[in-house]
Amino acid sequence: MRWIEGLIAVLLMLVPFFAFKSENLTTYIYWIVITAAFLVYTSLDAKRWVYE
Amino acid sequence: MNSFIILIGLYAVLGTGIAIYARGARSQEEYFVGGRNISGIVSALTYASTTYSAFMMVGLVGLSYASGVGSAGFELMYLVGTLFLLSYYAPKVWELGKERGFVSPAELIGSRYGSITAKLSAIIALIALIPYTSIQLIGVALILEKNASLSFSMGILVVALLIALWAFIGGLRGVAWTDAIQGSLMLLAAILAVVWVSFKVDFLSISKLDGLLYVPNKIWTPKLFAALTVPWFFFALTNPQVFQRLFIPKDKAALRKMIVYFGLFGLIYTVLVTFLGLELKLMTLNGDFPSVSYRDDVTPTLLTIMPSWLSLLVALSILAAAITTANSIILTLSSMISRDVVKERGIIVGKLAVIVLTVVVALFALQKVSYIVELAVLSSTILLCFLPLILGVFHFDKGGKITGVSTLLIGFVTAVTLSYFKLSPLGIPASIVTFTLVFATFFVFSLIEGKGSAKTI
Repeated sequence: MRWIEGLIAVLLMLVPFFAFKSENLTTYIYWIVITAAFLVYTSLDAKRWVYE
Repeated sequence: MNSFIILIGLYAVLGTGIAIYARGARSQEEYFVGGRNISGIVSALTYASTTYSAFMMVGLVGLSYASGVGSAGFELMYLVGTLFLLSYYAPKVWELGKERGFVSPAELIGSRYGSITAKLSAIIALIALIPYTSIQLIGVALILEKNASLSFSMGILVVALLIALWAFIGGLRGVAWTDAIQGSLMLLAAILAVVWVSFKVDFLSISKLDGLLYVPNKIWTPKLFAALTVPWFFFALTNPQVFQRLFIPKDKAALRKMIVYFGLFGLIYTVLVTFLGLELKLMTLNGDFPSVSYRDDVTPTLLTIMPSWLSLLVALSILAAAITTANSIILTLSSMISRDVVKERGIIVGKLAVIVLTVVVALFALQKVSYIVELAVLSSTILLCFLPLILGVFHFDKGGKITGVSTLLIGFVTAVTLSYFKLSPLGIPASIVTFTLVFATFFVFSLIEGKGSAKTI
């Protein structure tokens, strides 16, 4: 069910197209936070590094 | 003497010294994948340097300047896709590579869809990546022309010599070590450039960026975003020069380190270059930076107003980014010629291919053909034809030779035809049409061909 993780990550990356319209760095910071969170998640999730 | 020429001289001596130190490969495994014995940190830096070309410091800064935060979204979407694909597939690919002795990236496809499919993969990769590699040489030659007063053709010659020399002498180990140093230089130059520009920006006027601060805007429509992100999302699996790097870490811990540190590098580097573009746009709106209409001129314009030491460092980092991408592609394509096309046992043809391919890429660059940018962009769409075959190896137990060859041929012909005639059927971007068609072809032929001896790995 790893593909669900990928799908959620993609959907989260698309949120600014529907949700934000502010004239500040909200969209930019949002994208950075989501990418950073996904990086932390993949690096800490030990199971995914095992060849099943 | 021009100080940039002196800097390039020192850079050439250092890189050549490293390549000489790394020489001595006798087997294909040693020459093309560093004996599968590269540390996690060096693997991460060579993966990052190979991935992030001169496009970042020139193209992405300009794109961010012209189109706003959407460029960061596009590049970070690529990074999310890469992290997802690598964290899932890389351990499998690494283990299979070690177990079955894969050296060329096409051998994974060949193990399932036959050697004819592997051979065709090598030919398609050659066609797709030669224009893309030529672009790297052109970018560097233009920088040398501007900063070192070298003629365009002399610039191409210098870069081609460095690419061929380092790859020829040191093989993957030499390329990886020089990549590691150059990757660090790329990051350092980007940090210093952002810090220097930040002192000149009035951040309180950020709202002046207006429509550039959100998506969709006039440039970043959902259609453009989808057209660009689909091929880039799968870059880690479709581009042979990065796929082959999954074979090089010395163990699973090094592989994990490679992916995590690459992700960290990619995040920091992407944020730096896109932020630089936004800062420069804000400076333009405040009258502190010239208005640049052609977006690829943004970074060259920045170089003219920076202190000379920083300008030299940033120019050198762009040169490094181009060389690391180009020599990695050349070495990977050489391994495909050696293993999949000629099927030699030694490394003589592979080493010869390094020289021949560099000459071909240099000659292509010297032509300065007007459609070279279109060809380079087309490469990522063409390479999508590998995707269903790679995923099929792991997830779909039907299909063989006919499926492999048909998927590659139909994907290649579709991508080239749509690009040549500038077609987008029903308004759908060429990359998405190609993506859909290669998967449809793959499933139809797999079902017709049936299971045979095929099984998922």
